[in-house]
Amino acid sequence: MQKIKALAAGIAAVLALAGCGGAPGTASPSGSSSEASGGPTGETLIVYTNSNGEGRGEWLTEKAAAAGFKIEIVGAGGADATNKLIAEKNNPIADVAFGLNNMYFEQVKAGGAIEPYTPSWAEEVDSELGDKSEDKAYWPLVKQAILLGYNSDKFSADKAPKDWTDLWSKDEFKDRYERVTGLGTATSQLVLASILTRYKDDSGDLGISDEGWSQIEQYFQHGSPAVPKTDLFARIAGGEVDMGQMPSSIIPEREKTFKVNVDVVKPSVGVPFAVEQVALVKGTDKKEEALKFIDWFGGAEFQGEWAQKFNSMPVNNLAVAKAKPEVVEFVNSLKQQDIDWTFVQENIGAWVEKIELEYMT
Amino acid sequence: MIRLDNIEVTFGDFIAIPGLTLEVEQGEFFTLLGPSGCGKTTALRTLAGFIEPSAGDVYVDGKAVTRLPSDKRQVGMVFQNYALFPSMSVWENIAFGLRVRKEKPADSDRMVREIARRVDLSDAQLSKNVAELSGGQQQRVAVARALVLQPKILLLDEPLSNLDAKLRHQLRQQLKDLQSEFGITTVYVTHDQDEALAMSDRVAVFNKGMVEQVGTPQTIYDESATEFVCNFIGDSSALTPEFIGELNRQSRTHLDPDARSYLRVEKASLAPGISESGSGTDARSDFGADLGTDFGAAVPEGAVAVGGTVVSRTYHGLHSRYRVKSHGSELSIIVREDGSRRPESGARVTVHVRPEHVLQYHPKTGSRLENQALATSATSQS
Amino acid sequence: MSGTSARSMLRSPFVIVVGVALTWFIAAFLVWPNANVLIATFFPDGRFSGRAAEKLLSSDRAMKSLGNSFMLAVALSITVNIVGIFIVLVTHYFKIRGSRILFLGYATTFIYGGIVLAAGYKFIYGEKGIVTVLLAGMFPGMDAGWFSGFFAVLVVMTFATTTNHMLFVANALKGVDFQTIEAARNMGASTWTILRRIVLPMLKPTLFAATILSFLTGLGALSAPQVLGGREFQTITPMILTFTNSPTSRDLAALLAVILGVATILMLAVMTRLEKGGTYFSLSKVSSRLEKQAITNPLANVLIHVAAYLLFAVYTLPVVLIVLYSFADSAAIQTGQLSLSSLTLENYVRVLTQPSGLRPFIISIVYSALAAVITVGGLLFVARLIQKHQNWLTSLFEYLLHIPWILPSALLALGLIISYDHPNPLVGGAVLTGTTVILLIAFVTVKIPFTLRMLKATFTTVNSSLEEAAAIMGARTLYIFRRILLPIVLPTAAAIAALNFNSMLDDYDTAIFLAHPLFQPLGLIIKANTDGAEGVDGVSNTFVYTVLLMVITGFTMYLVYGRARRRGGRASQKLPTSPTTADTPVPVTVSSSAR
Repeated sequence: MQKIKALAAGIAAVLALAGCGGAPGTASPSGSSSEASGGPTGETLIVYTNSNGEGRGEWLTEKAAAAGFKIEIVGAGGADATNKLIAEKNNPIADVAFGLNNMYFEQVKAGGAIEPYTPSWAEEVDSELGDKSEDKAYWPLVKQAILLGYNSDKFSADKAPKDWTDLWSKDEFKDRYERVTGLGTATSQLVLASILTRYKDDSGDLGISDEGWSQIEQYFQHGSPAVPKTDLFARIAGGEVDMGQMPSSIIPEREKTFKVNVDVVKPSVGVPFAVEQVALVKGTDKKEEALKFIDWFGGAEFQGEWAQKFNSMPVNNLAVAKAKPEVVEFVNSLKQQDIDWTFVQENIGAWVEKIELEYMT
Repeated sequence: MIRLDNIEVTFGDFIAIPGLTLEVEQGEFFTLLGPSGCGKTTALRTLAGFIEPSAGDVYVDGKAVTRLPSDKRQVGMVFQNYALFPSMSVWENIAFGLRVRKEKPADSDRMVREIARRVDLSDAQLSKNVAELSGGQQQRVAVARALVLQPKILLLDEPLSNLDAKLRHQLRQQLKDLQSEFGITTVYVTHDQDEALAMSDRVAVFNKGMVEQVGTPQTIYDESATEFVCNFIGDSSALTPEFIGELNRQSRTHLDPDARSYLRVEKASLAPGISESGSGTDARSDFGADLGTDFGAAVPEGAVAVGGTVVSRTYHGLHSRYRVKSHGSELSIIVREDGSRRPESGARVTVHVRPEHVLQYHPKTGSRLENQALATSATSQS
Repeated sequence: MSGTSARSMLRSPFVIVVGVALTWFIAAFLVWPNANVLIATFFPDGRFSGRAAEKLLSSDRAMKSLGNSFMLAVALSITVNIVGIFIVLVTHYFKIRGSRILFLGYATTFIYGGIVLAAGYKFIYGEKGIVTVLLAGMFPGMDAGWFSGFFAVLVVMTFATTTNHMLFVANALKGVDFQTIEAARNMGASTWTILRRIVLPMLKPTLFAATILSFLTGLGALSAPQVLGGREFQTITPMILTFTNSPTSRDLAALLAVILGVATILMLAVMTRLEKGGTYFSLSKVSSRLEKQAITNPLANVLIHVAAYLLFAVYTLPVVLIVLYSFADSAAIQTGQLSLSSLTLENYVRVLTQPSGLRPFIISIVYSALAAVITVGGLLFVARLIQKHQNWLTSLFEYLLHIPWILPSALLALGLIISYDHPNPLVGGAVLTGTTVILLIAFVTVKIPFTLRMLKATFTTVNSSLEEAAAIMGARTLYIFRRILLPIVLPTAAAIAALNFNSMLDDYDTAIFLAHPLFQPLGLIIKANTDGAEGVDGVSNTFVYTVLLMVITGFTMYLVYGRARRRGGRASQKLPTSPTTADTPVPVTVSSSAR
């Protein structure tokens, strides 16, 4: 009897969960009456992002509240957020998604989970950094470089590697760099794209010449595999390895935590940039409010604050002025590698598979 | 009261009971007896309603109950392991059926206490956990649980087999007493012939799913209808054709020497020395003559005396069991221990046998042959 | 009793109701989604594609990883039995000083596992580990990286997987009739001979069961090879997970998963065969309680004591370190420099005061508890039916219910998504993606095979005449179930539910696909808080969450197991033949160990 009661209570609990989860919009008044030009209604917006770590999510929620937006951040890794958006396309929960790069949003768009729109700040950004097609479904926010960083206490700038390929072609770097053990993250896929696209060859396997594949093979052969739950900076501090891939924005913070000095390699071909984007989820019943949020979020004012706070490099031209000068200077000192993203987009899945099967040991 | 009409039970390809017809009378203590795997438990479970026969019908009080679930048949059952519910107290176990029937709590309590008193369970025991009771007490709980619902029929599935010998004897009596007190029609399953003979009004002997014989304990013992029954019930000695020939020679009867022949152990008696009738020249007793007494039972009227040699003797206190070699047969003979001197191994002795006690069976079918001794003696006397 | 035909079985309304519900559930949540995912991967354009097989066969890495997984599974089946039997004997069979303490130490694997366990061992034996540093001091020439590769993985997983023995085999040992041991000793058998010839053979069925679980754990090994396998020893599961997440490579994941699934089923079949044809239970009607044996040989006694306490240290050190590290700052953890001054409550404050706070804990507890109760509650009926009526129909159901063992949970989740991301008549035309129910369904599904096997085993220990006795007194099926069967199987059912509950608390694989974004269970929060990329506090958060999880799972285990033990004491004066609570096996979970 006791058990049956407990079961009933439990079922009631999940129904309650289902009730408020299934229809998030019904709880707050409908926003259909408000004009797009009007202020925020305060409807709860669900925002998916892979860029909520290190306090970003909380900070954004606070700032948004101050601006009159009630948002709820749902964090997930890039690939996971992508899968989730596509899975929920017939019953969308999110209203807005941001933080994913072009590759991910291209998948989401192909899955039919986001819809084209034009933000108020469309003129302030370089549209080449966002959706390159006619109906633009995602717009750029911030860019960050994916870099090869090394322990500058061990290598002086002239002794340090000049490019990724030095890592395995020069003996002094062999086994001194960390290489990835999985290719699921955006950062590692960008590094991969950065190396492979240099060897584009239409007659080669998956559009890459044998030479290119041999480079990848050596990358995996001579690298020290990343260790789960052990940060690259911790390994550098411990002397296990001296270099590895890192996104530009995390470097200052990690240097402090692990008390190491890291410098970055600036290859002559340039470095790959990841551009974080923002998009409107298709089928949301709070489209008006969501668009207002995107207008505010991507606008010069807020992007400037964001850049100040998190050392990021905004894409919005007007916001750059408000970003930290050293960040702007640093990013501007990097040459952006010219990568054919359409080509990458078409092949990345097959590349990852080939590498997983053949080169990763 | 109960009628099983041409019951057939199959388990997959295996035919457990090929065709069983039985009748049990009102108030009777009826036993299904047989070795394990003979189908007696299957028959009982069919009667209880746990097994649905593939053919045939079960009647209780003249009504077909074959398709009725077990609880609609008004039967109570005591299981081999008693099947007491370990999660309940003694009281709760007995009251279980009453609760299912939705009797008023006050009535239930009265009925439980009433039946508990009749099976001799104390109030203190009622509140105990069943695990705290002894085997005998558990049996009484099981019986009380079955009887409290006042069934028409009580089914007992080897309820004594889990107990040690002494307790078994004691509880056998207790069960029988309970049954006669309640006067309830009882069907009892056992593989223990001793139990069956001592407790039953009638016994059905099972073998390979078939009933070999139904009858009172005495009938199935003295007039075992088949060779199987003869062997399964009681003790008997197999007789050789040579021995039968000797009996025929002495008594001028016409027992069939080729039939399977048996003699119950208590039907033969022992006399000292060799005094084989007809060839009695050598009637020198080894020691009986000195004593001048006949140490066996009194020589029965119409008995034939055959000579033999004691092979062994086993002392049992109340009696001794002799094995005597005679005309190729090895006879088992029971001799009451009354304190007189007894022959030992190797002694020459005389065995008294009445030819009409010989049980004879057809060597192929195993069914009983009419005893020619009875017929012959009747004709010779006339 | 067991050979009820399908036709006569279907005459009972109870069977019909359970059967209809079960058929719907199996069709809707086991067959349809998984058929969908398999069809989508192997028949991408409506035609069969052999691409996956070709790719895998031509990949050295895939073949080697697959080989490694099987090698690990086989090796683990052996080593776990050796260590497992040893610790069971030490805690339950031999007179060993402090065996209660030893028990608690060996039982630490009940409450933690996975990547944290592997990391814990690495802290001790890894390159900068305490033991390694100590050893290097004694043997200057030794290789600091000695603890890696197959050997390290096997060692760690061996210790992580003995949970099965501690629960299962220890319980079976308690059921051994002490008289048989006395009889053997009387005939002059040595302690060793008694153990080998009398005791161990009686434990065979449980050892078989534990072996199956060890084999499965080895086959599905994920975190230990990742952390300790190094370049030389990687297994197949990480590859399956990677491919599952990549839409273009899902066929590879499905094929690999099916290979492991088939191996699992084969193993089950083999073990079931081996198990048949032996009498393992006590024949006697008056069996006596097992008494602990003194080891007579003084040398052996000392050696066994030493070994027992060494193992104790091996088992408990990682736990102690994890608890300590949960108070340390992340740099201290990452670099292995631990000092008393670096221990603060800061990590706990950070984890527990973050905006999500305790919410994910509550969500996970509600989900896990519901899933555990629904799975066990629902399968109680099903397991009883399957155990009682053995015919082609119930066998079919039983096999279908094992589907979740063939496919990894990530693929099961994908199947649910592609089947229910649009209105589907199987669930009344509802869209399940984006609801809170879909994750619950996945949780329930994943736990079905284990729960079913355990419950079925429990029901076999219930004497069928108890049911008949109740039936003859007029009780209805449901009433019998509630009043008679349930009280008997409840302790075991509760234990199964607790193990299920524990194993789902920190689930990530299914939640990442299916969780409702506003009701994110703990696994996702842990992942978000512990991934290196998400911040420097990640690793310390890992430890905090691990300790918090240990507290929850430890508490659940105590509720169920601790209390069952106390009850077991009273039930020792048992009915001659009815099984009592003390005899029913307390089962174990596959996934609570280092998968």
